[in-house]
Amino acid sequence: MITGLGTVGAYGCGGDSLRRALAAPDPSAFLAPLLSDVDRTAGYHRAGGARRALLTRGVSLAEWLAPGEARRMSPPSKLAVAAARMALVCAGFADRRCDREETAVAISTAFGPSSYSEALLKQILFEGPEATSPFLFTESVANAPAAQIAILCRARGPSMTISQREAGALQALGQGAADVASGRAPRALAGAVDEMTPLLHSLLDRFGALARPLEDVEEAQPFDRHRRGFVAAEGATVLLLESAASAAERGARLLGRVLAWGSAFDATAPQAGWGTGHERLARSLRRGLERSGVDRGTIDLIVSGASGSRGGDRLEALMLRDVFAGSTLPPVLAPKRLLGEYGGGFLGAAVLAAAGAPMPSALPASFEADPELGIVPDPPLSGPPSTVLVTSLAAGGAASWLLLGAPGAAP
Amino acid sequence: MSEALAVPNRIKRLIVESLHLEGIRPEMIEDEAPLFGEGLGLDSVDALELVVALEKEFGIKIKSQELGREVFSSVSSLSQFIEGRT
Amino acid sequence: MSGLGAVSGLGWGVEALWEGLRSGRTAIRPFERFDHSLHRTHLAAEAPEEPAGERGGRLSVADRFALFAATEAVRQAGLPLPLDTLEAGVWFGSSTGGMFESEEFFRRYVADRRHAHLGDLASQQVNGPGDAVARHLGVTGPVQTISSACSSGALALGAALDAVRSGAVDVAVAGGSDSLCRLTYAGFNSLRSVDEEPCLPFRSGRAGMSFGEGAAVLVLEPLERVLARGATPLAELAGAGSACDAHHMTAPDPAGSGAAAALEAALRDAGLPADAIDFVNAHATGTPLNDAAEHRALARVFGARAETMPIVLTKAILGHLLGTAGAIEAVATVLCLLHRELHPAPVRERAKAEENAADTEEQDEITANLVLGRPRPLPDAHAAVSTSLAFGGSNAALVFARWEPA
Repeated sequence: MITGLGTVGAYGCGGDSLRRALAAPDPSAFLAPLLSDVDRTAGYHRAGGARRALLTRGVSLAEWLAPGEARRMSPPSKLAVAAARMALVCAGFADRRCDREETAVAISTAFGPSSYSEALLKQILFEGPEATSPFLFTESVANAPAAQIAILCRARGPSMTISQREAGALQALGQGAADVASGRAPRALAGAVDEMTPLLHSLLDRFGALARPLEDVEEAQPFDRHRRGFVAAEGATVLLLESAASAAERGARLLGRVLAWGSAFDATAPQAGWGTGHERLARSLRRGLERSGVDRGTIDLIVSGASGSRGGDRLEALMLRDVFAGSTLPPVLAPKRLLGEYGGGFLGAAVLAAAGAPMPSALPASFEADPELGIVPDPPLSGPPSTVLVTSLAAGGAASWLLLGAPGAAP
Repeated sequence: MSEALAVPNRIKRLIVESLHLEGIRPEMIEDEAPLFGEGLGLDSVDALELVVALEKEFGIKIKSQELGREVFSSVSSLSQFIEGRT
Repeated sequence: MSGLGAVSGLGWGVEALWEGLRSGRTAIRPFERFDHSLHRTHLAAEAPEEPAGERGGRLSVADRFALFAATEAVRQAGLPLPLDTLEAGVWFGSSTGGMFESEEFFRRYVADRRHAHLGDLASQQVNGPGDAVARHLGVTGPVQTISSACSSGALALGAALDAVRSGAVDVAVAGGSDSLCRLTYAGFNSLRSVDEEPCLPFRSGRAGMSFGEGAAVLVLEPLERVLARGATPLAELAGAGSACDAHHMTAPDPAGSGAAAALEAALRDAGLPADAIDFVNAHATGTPLNDAAEHRALARVFGARAETMPIVLTKAILGHLLGTAGAIEAVATVLCLLHRELHPAPVRERAKAEENAADTEEQDEITANLVLGRPRPLPDAHAAVSTSLAFGGSNAALVFARWEPA
């Protein structure tokens, strides 16, 4: 059971800020001003390339982190701890700590603490190894956010940091769910975090991954015929998971249920891109659903990880169509259109969708469906869903999926 | 030598800056106050960070064997150590 | 386990690994992967040049290690490639991924964008080696890279075990790969936790860790499948457990509680009592604090036996492979069980014993039965434990059992 949601992104702090962003009558208009100019003073960026990203620059974490405890933390650690605390408070733990020490932690990060790693490399390469800052080093490891959550939220159970690019967030949630379901841990804090630095942004742009400005507009257009890449984002989303029995005992409010999870790989993918193996991926997904005893007919909503990437959206669309071949494809949401890629905004949106929160239901007038893919995302929904399939495909080949159930129904 | 350039004051400034001690001004640190454990409550990673900052500031090299408790116990003891090396 | 593969400072391949481990000679020596003249220390267990290295393309050193080890392991298991006719998955641990190559890229990119080649970055991330293995083997099942510092490899093996047990996959290719790089070398040195000489785990006068690099891969399958194929099971991964210290970002809980919890969880998972364990492959990095805390954890779990049961110290020979340590030490543990022989750590005189003793006045004497000097036959070795401890992060323990035909 998901009983707590904490999230930080360009949209602000807390599940409510994300909820408001997604429920806004015109979410694009709501979120567009939150696109910040990435600092290009270091000169990493190429001319004509993407210049903006959904950053947390304007978001204050003061309510969630005391200055003393945060003084050595890297940006992702701060975001992750803040989100973890929000999730705990949301779940009813006002003291922001786990009530059960053996709580597990499962965090995904695509790039780790980039700004600290970059600063560290600069010291080592340009000032010399003896100028290396211990602060930067200890907080530059990928598992720093998970470690900080463990220390500050008192979660001393199994702890894992997954680094599997865009597929990692769902894998982390699956891992947390597995920790609880297996009895290894009574609770789990699971989620994703990433920070978007100017250097990283410039490299993503040079790899052709980001949507370049067209008439000064940079936007992600998932499933659109003219999509040209994704919009980069940063932030953190952490969920608190616990067993149904434990949630009932505590009288906790349920946000949703994690019914099944799984992951597969497309070996046709190049190192930093998407491949063409949608049939194989679909087969793995179908097998996973069967093993979990789920009939695809019960799925009434899909939250896809389509981000506006040419290859990625194509692969995901063809995979989904294949999974539902011979029946109707449920409505497909593409939250990365508004929330960007990286940082866990997508994960937060998926949970809110399963909880029945209002979701974006209008596309820009300019939207033109890609005929090969045949998906028009973000249609108006007729009501809260009962079973949601969440999918996310990573550059490099990994793919992950999750089935979320509505909170209301009995397990 | 001006006050600001006196070794203890330079050390205090380094402590505040390199260890990101927000809300603390260098003048607030007493010469004899304990730095680690109690007092400012700094830990081993802070000590190592401070060492890197001290090495840069004073142009000295501090060997691992010299990183004992006594040298780092207060600004005074650090100051004596550094003046002995420069 | 049906297949093993490894690359280390002792060479490419499991045979080179076992021969070197048995010899008791350390592989930690001056290295050439990058210029270390300005670093505080100058030693590492560097992998030698790749024999017949023909893998072109944008593969990092860590990728190459991983591909070699994975190919070796899958070949030993007798599995046909590509693996897409089976449900196969890859679980990998890494701390560095393609960081070594990225460092050069970064130096050039920061100086002048035009002189840096994006291709050097293609496998930059920590999931580079795991993904490269998945692509090469044609895997279609779950692929996951875990980056939890020094327990990554062990956690990857634990995750693989879960997947095999649950039937999610028929075959799990699990392990890790890490290469030496300036970032980790300078980083650990900035913490002053690196020994200037080859590390002396668990012994007095120990002054820090040593670095190593390489890859290790283990192929895990349900026993029935291995037998049905007519292949020989090498050993059993009987259990895995993990728990967090949550004490401090770089210092272990002195009481070793997180490590003890991980060990107990692993034993429970394996369904074995502590008494069933015949030897321990300790994490044993050689840092004063880690070794003391770990020994206390062993005492909590094994009681008085902690002082008498044999302890194998792989890092004294291979150095610390960071994220890959748990995987390569798993291979070392399996080899010890297979050959019924515990590999030794070198017996070494500490040249600067007195100097270091003054500095480490609080260093605890560790009373333990360390395997030193020569290989120690252990004909009745049936079960062993391997520990991987990462301070603020996760502690992991794996239980291995010898496989005997019924």
